[in-house]
Amino acid sequence: MTYVTPLPLDAITDSEMLELISQARVLGVPDDLFPRIIWRAPEQAKPIMRALLMSHTQGNVDHRLKEIIRVLLARFANEKYFASLRSRKAQETGLSEQRIDEGCNEYDDDSKGFSEAEKWALRFADLLYLDAHQIDKAFYDNLKKHWTEAQIMELGSFMVCHYGMQMFMRALGGRSGVH
Amino acid sequence: MSTSPDAVDAAFFDELRKHYSDDEIVELALFIGMNLGFHTFFGSLKFYPLFSPEGQLLTQEESEKLYGGAPSSLNEQGAK
Repeated sequence: MTYVTPLPLDAITDSEMLELISQARVLGVPDDLFPRIIWRAPEQAKPIMRALLMSHTQGNVDHRLKEIIRVLLARFANEKYFASLRSRKAQETGLSEQRIDEGCNEYDDDSKGFSEAEKWALRFADLLYLDAHQIDKAFYDNLKKHWTEAQIMELGSFMVCHYGMQMFMRALGGRSGVH
Repeated sequence: MSTSPDAVDAAFFDELRKHYSDDEIVELALFIGMNLGFHTFFGSLKFYPLFSPEGQLLTQEESEKLYGGAPSSLNEQGAK
């Protein structure tokens, strides 16, 4: 049970928010609990839902890699709600639980087959909220060998939105499936 | 939420509710969550405000001198 009571779904009548909830149901992230909580602040709710969905599903970075990064961040944040959710789009395009675990814990192990670009993206996620001092000019120089600046901003913005909302749900005590 | 999220527990929310409604608590927590995410990433990109507190346009070098090195949000990191 969350510390703040989620609103009933029928309290949300705004057509744009309902469309965003519909898109999230198709994707699987977030489920209905998150919008039912954030609709208490409707002016913030719509841009945040839009940012979560767009940063996850659009752009020029592989969606499966973003999904691994999202789960990595949620586990690092020790946040159960978002860590329990899975992108159906990523699953349908071949991302397995085993691959997610490997990406979270063993991406540097050459035997796991992650490309150098994927390793640097996962290292970026691993370090950003653990020790951002290590993400210095030399780190960005290495990142730029594999990713364009547009892709780096896409990765960073994606992590910002999702980690921020993972910490929000951790603070509010959210758990997937416990509404 | 940033450095000691476990301290944000039921007792903390009981105290918070003495001063804020549930709607205001959600608004505050969303604002904090977004800023918590953004400050760390933008801090790593090493860019600084375009203007001095007096409104004067600054170069990034001038701004770094004025506003200092790493933002303090980078000093205490990671959800414990």
